[in-house]
Formats: sequence, C-alpha cells, structure tokens
Amino acid sequence: MLKYFLRRLVMLGPVLFLVLVIIFSLARIIPGDPAASLLGPGATNEQIEALRAQLHLDENVVKQFLSYAGGLFVGDMGSSMKTGRPVFDEILSRLPATLELSIVATLMALVIGIPSGVYSAIRANSSFDHVNRTLSLVGVSAPAFLLALILQLIFGIYLGWLPVSGRLSPYLIAEPITGFIILDGIISGNFDVAWSAFLHVLLPASVLAAFLGATVGRFVRTSMLEVLGEDYIRTARAKGLSERLVIFVHALRNSLLPAITIVGLKFAEMLGGAILTETVFAWPGIGRFMFEAIKNRDYPVIQGNTLVFALLFMLTSLIVDLLYGYLDPRIRKRMSR
Amino acid sequence: MGLKRGFLFLLSLTLLVFGNIVTGQADDRLKTLVVAVNSDPANLEPGTNKAYPIGSEIILNVFDTLVAWTPPAFEEMEGRLAESWTVSPDGKEFTFKLRDGVKFHDGTDFNAEAVKFSFERTKEINPYMKANFGLISSIDVLGPLEVKITLTKAMPVFLSILAQPQAAVVSPAAVKKFGDDFNVNPVGTGPFKFVSYTPDTSVVLEANTDYFRGASKLSRIIFRVIPEASTRRLELENGGIDISQQNGQLYSIPVEDIKAFNKNPDVDVIEVPSQIFRQFEFNNSHPDSPVNDVRVRKAMAYAIDYDGLLNGILGGTASRVYGPLPTNSWAFNPAMKERAFSYDPDKAKQLLAEAGYKPGDLKFKLYSFQGNLWGSICTFLQANFADVGIDVTVAQTEFPIYRNLHTTGQHEIAMDGRQPWYNDPDAHITIGYYSPLADSAMTFRMPEDAELDGLILKAQATVDFEERKELYFQIQEMIMDRVPAAYLFSNKIIVFKRSNVKGLVINSAPPLNEYWSVYKE
Repeated sequence: MLKYFLRRLVMLGPVLFLVLVIIFSLARIIPGDPAASLLGPGATNEQIEALRAQLHLDENVVKQFLSYAGGLFVGDMGSSMKTGRPVFDEILSRLPATLELSIVATLMALVIGIPSGVYSAIRANSSFDHVNRTLSLVGVSAPAFLLALILQLIFGIYLGWLPVSGRLSPYLIAEPITGFIILDGIISGNFDVAWSAFLHVLLPASVLAAFLGATVGRFVRTSMLEVLGEDYIRTARAKGLSERLVIFVHALRNSLLPAITIVGLKFAEMLGGAILTETVFAWPGIGRFMFEAIKNRDYPVIQGNTLVFALLFMLTSLIVDLLYGYLDPRIRKRMSR
Repeated sequence: MGLKRGFLFLLSLTLLVFGNIVTGQADDRLKTLVVAVNSDPANLEPGTNKAYPIGSEIILNVFDTLVAWTPPAFEEMEGRLAESWTVSPDGKEFTFKLRDGVKFHDGTDFNAEAVKFSFERTKEINPYMKANFGLISSIDVLGPLEVKITLTKAMPVFLSILAQPQAAVVSPAAVKKFGDDFNVNPVGTGPFKFVSYTPDTSVVLEANTDYFRGASKLSRIIFRVIPEASTRRLELENGGIDISQQNGQLYSIPVEDIKAFNKNPDVDVIEVPSQIFRQFEFNNSHPDSPVNDVRVRKAMAYAIDYDGLLNGILGGTASRVYGPLPTNSWAFNPAMKERAFSYDPDKAKQLLAEAGYKPGDLKFKLYSFQGNLWGSICTFLQANFADVGIDVTVAQTEFPIYRNLHTTGQHEIAMDGRQPWYNDPDAHITIGYYSPLADSAMTFRMPEDAELDGLILKAQATVDFEERKELYFQIQEMIMDRVPAAYLFSNKIIVFKRSNVKGLVINSAPPLNEYWSVYKE
C-alpha cells in the first residue's frame, strides 16, 4: 500500500512538468497579445510596446519558459500581468473560497444523495422511488445559472432568509487566519462572521450539490439494486440476519464504490472552480479568476492556476484510489503488488 | 431534494430566532455606502493603473489631482491640489501654486516635491501614460508649494490630462514604504483613506476626516465585486447594495432593468450623457475595396435607421451623435446636426446605382467586438444594409485578435468606438483622424491628407481657447466631407441607486464617480 502511494507521489513530478509545457505553449498559441488585451481598445501601439517590454513579452519564448520554470523551483510562480501581484498570493487568496464551497457542496450532496439512493433501491418502484428519480433527473439536468437564479429569488428575495450573493455580509470584517471564513470566525470567536459566512455559502453550495447529489443518488440506487441481487446477500438473508444488517453492513459498502469514483472526480472538478455558480453568486473563487485570466491572456496566472488544478486533481484521484483500496480488499491486494 | 428543503426550513427557523445577530447597527449602515462594481478593481494607484475603470474610480476617491473639471457642467477646470496655475503663452510651461496645509493619509506633507516625485514615477512606470507624460521634458520645484512642468511641445490639452486619475499625486513616503505593494496599499490626499482590498470581493475605504475640502458625511465606502448583472439587480432591490456603478451598464443593454426599476420607488435610475462614442466605420486606407468610393460610403451611411437603432435596439439608453464629436463636447459644432446623415434607403439605392453596383453586388464582412450590445447593433445594421441590397455577414471577434486585424487594416467595414479618459476634443480627433497615426491604434485609418493633418496639429497646439474651438469646428466640417464613418450613438452613463442615496455627482469624461458629496437618508 505504502509503496503504491509513494510510486504515485513520485509520478506527480513528470506529469506536472508535462502539464506545464503544454499550458505554456497553449497559452501562447491562442492568438492575441496580453499587453493589447490589458490596455483595451483605446490603446496605441506605442503604449502596447512599452507594456510588452515591461512584462518581458518581447523576449525569446524559450528564455521566457526557462525563467518561468526556473522560478517554479524556488517557489516563484511569477506575477499577474494585470495586477502585478504574485500569482501564488493571488491563487492563495481565492483557493479557500473554492475549497469551502466545494466541501460544503459535497457534504450536502452526500447527505442527500446516499440516503435517497439507498431508500430508492430498497423501495424500488415505490412512489418515493418515482418522485426521487424525477427530482434527481431535474437536479442533473437543470442548468446551474437557472437554478441559481431561482434559488436567489425564492430564498433571497421572496422569503428573505438567505443572502443573495457574496461570501460574507459586507458590513462584517473577517480576520483572515486560514482563509476559510466559517472556520476563521469560529477560531477567532467571532460567531457573527461564522454565521454570516455559513448563510452565504448555502445557496451556491445548493446549486452545486443539486447536480452532484442527484448523480450520487442515481449511482447509489443502481449499484444498490445490483448488489441486492447478489448471491452473498441471499446467503446473508438466508442466515437470518436482520434486513437492517444486510443493507447497511453487507450491501451498502459494496454499492458505494461507484459513487466514490463519481464524488471524487466531481469534487476534483469543483476545485477547478465553478465559473457560472461563482459568477452568479459573486463568489470570489478560482474559477472566475481563471476565466478572467484567459480573457486577458494573463499567462502567469493561466499557468499557475493550471498547475494548481492539475496538482489538486491528481491528489484527489490518489485519495479516491486509496479509499477504493480501503473499501475493497481485492483492490487493496492488487495495489500491494 | 426533499431532505434539502427540510434542512433549509430548519435553518430558516434558527435564523428567525437568532436572525438579529447579522442585521442591526442601522446607524452604521446609514454612514456606509455599498457600491457594486462589475469586476475586480485591479491597480489602485496612478503609477500602475492602465485606465481600468474600477481601479480608476477608487483612485479618484483616495487621491487628488492638481486640477479637475467642475461639476455638474464639466466645462471649466477648478484647482484641487493646485490653488492656481498659469500657462505660458507658447503653451509649453505650466506653473502651479499648490494648496498649503494638505497632508497625505500617512501624515506626511503634500508639497511640490511630492508632485515632482509622482509625475516622474508615473511617467517611468506606467506605459499607459507614455503618450502624454512622455511630453514632459522637466519638472522644476520652484518652492515648497510651487512647481513648473515644461513640455517638449505646445499642448494645451495637458491640463485636461492632469485631471485624469492616472495623474493623481501619491505619497512618496508610502511608495518607499510599500514598494511594489503600493498597488494594493494606496496612500493619497483624497476624501477617503484606503482600508482593505480582498481580491474579487471588495475594497473598503473610510472617510478622511481631515480632507481639505471638508470631510465626507459617509464614514465608509465598500466597493463590492458582483460580476453578474442579474445579481446586482437583486441585491439593489433587496438593499444589499446602495449604488450599481455605471461600468456594469456600459457594455450591456440595461433596458429591462430600467423598466423594472422605474416601477420601484426604492430605486432611482440616473442617466447622464457621456462622451463615449460608437460608430460604424470604413477602412479609409483599404487598397482595393468598394468603400474607397465615397458614393458607397454615403450610401451605407444613408442606409442606417439611426432613430430605429436608438429607440428600438438601445431603448433610449444612448443619445444620437451627429459628427466626429459628441454633442456634450465643448468643441461640438452645432452645424453637424444639419449635416448628419439621416435614414434614407431610396437615396442609398440611388447612390449605389450611380456607383455602378446592383443589389447583391456588394458583399462585406462586418467585424465587431464581442458581447450582446455589439451583437444587437450589428444584426440591426445587417438588416438595414440588406434593405438596400448590400450583403453583410457579422464577425464578432475576441478583442486582442480583433485589434490586430483592425490595426493592420484587414477589414473593410467595422464597429468601433472611443471612451475618452480626458475631457477634450483632442481625445477623439487626433488619434482617430491624424493620418500619420493611422496604423498606430484602432483608428479610422485616414489616408494622407495634408490639409486635415495640418489643421489637427494646429488645433492641438493652439493655446487660445476660442481660436482652438474654431479650429475644431473646421476640422469637423472637413471630416464630414470625407465620410470616414457613420456616427451612431453615445452611450448614456447609467447608474442605479437606492432612493435614499443623495448628492451623487456623475462625471462624464472620464465616466467615473467621486463619492465625496454623497450621503444617505
């Protein structure tokens, strides 16, 4: 197991390097000059040339690559062409927002998805099952921006229970400790902040959770139905085990395997940021940051973001694989080889 | 889904019980102004800001310039950090007497050295200011409160350039203290002090109680970043923001929002003319295009239903323009109203026939910027041109690529515009029509024209105001003879605000607001 883990960890290096080469070239293959883009329609060539020189864009591409890659080894991801601030700081100030949203959304999805999937499978073709399947179809297929707008209108405007957008009431000031505002509020004993941040995350997390929860529910239902038809379940029942024991001990663990893959992949995807959800809810996450960077051809930001996404994605999938091994002894055995 | 509803229901019950935690502090809210902006306010100081509108607006509120246009008419200049000034008869030397007793937010004194330091720094590090500050040959400190700026050539418009946010004066001590981070720790002399910047979230300012024009009635301004228009609307209706800043409305067609807000007594809609300019233009230096024939250019200008565009597509969110300058420019020649093209498809067809083109003969690709606003205008024009037998396809192109094909003259017809950052006809005329600059930016690509070029240079350097105005009148006539474009409209600056917000003064060039005079009731 440990050997497998270490081998995977070592693999991260070359993969990241490959990602870097690809994104470095891709960013420069897209036509359009960052300096022109940053200065806008009114700019003159003279202004653009001056900015290109200031940003070192007039240098040879190979030289640019070497100086960027060299910087990475000493932990320097360069500076944003737009803001002039270090890319690392820029990412770090937005990543907690994305993580917070992704974690809350995933928890919501699991809390809704797994029980509803299990119950649907046990009571297959009951009216609960039909309603649940219809709702999950809506969850999977509703466009995020539409769902977001509907939730904002219902809970933000008509009922007035939840804030429409943002991460914290603008009238409150959070002392940044970890960057996770809910956690920071609790640590610093500022419960107004924690509470306000919690209320703010609910709507955007619901939008993300609707899709993920519905997907998880459908997967759990299907695999649960499959597992319930297996010989060992019949054996367990024949032994006279209670139905509860059969479902929760024997069936659930096996039926969760496919759901874990989906949750892992979707979680990793969410870490890349949910552009639409972040935009509609004015959520200061990494997705919108990347979107703006691509629009502005902000090369260092595009590169830095991509490297961070790649790293997070690979780490998440490694964790998913390890979880797989933990849940399924057959896989664990194969990993040890 | 059922469980989620239940969860939210429980949660809202809790909220009803503990809800007062988050609300409350009504007094504080009356002194806090929340302004929604549509993008992250990058570059909060004059040395690094490249005319990014949100950052520029924050600069205007944290810093001061030497001079400014006097609201509400914006036709005359007033001193801000400068108490008075004189311009030498040759238009090259500008001497400023500075205001005494002004302090930067960090407690250091504002003086002539600070002016010299700021302008030299901006000239050196800000590529955006290259064209204008590049003309400065020397800055001399004549006394603690007296400074002389000498230019390499006569440039009366320089005063107007000094009124833009990129010419604001920074605290030299703070620049030394923060280094590169001055960018996110701006220190000026303005009505508000910088408190904090949270990327993609907010910028917080607090009132400078020692401000030399008197302290603001507000104690805080919070600029909230809300990129999505529908979210800004919900927040405004809900009281989550006090003002939806103009930049969010500039590139969309906010007609539906205006209609909804007009029915809402809690929300006011402010519409003010701007100097932002939008036109349908020809590549006036194309080697072999049918648009080289002035009859074709005239025909296309007659084919456009200007009022239909304004009232139908733009729903009154823009005003008509008649010639190369917007009607609210001090140099606008009223004769342009008579000379402007009007909608006359029959005349267009007749001109095309005279030029030897049958319906269907002419085919063009209309290049444009991206976005809803431009898309709607392009399809409207496309239909207009189809009515007179000109076949146009629309190519909305991503900006940096569009700029490249435009500045290299690969287009025959295109959509373009100008958003001047300083209040002067020079901002429209010189860069747009001076032929040696044809390839230097997105211009009308005017062919060499000794008469027009000479006049433009003369107007740029003439010091006497009335004489200068007269020269711009002639220039406008001359440009109209050449039909380089069909002038379409000027966007109005549209600001949405809660009705209890008072005292807001909207600035037209640059289209940015100072919140010094604002208060809440």
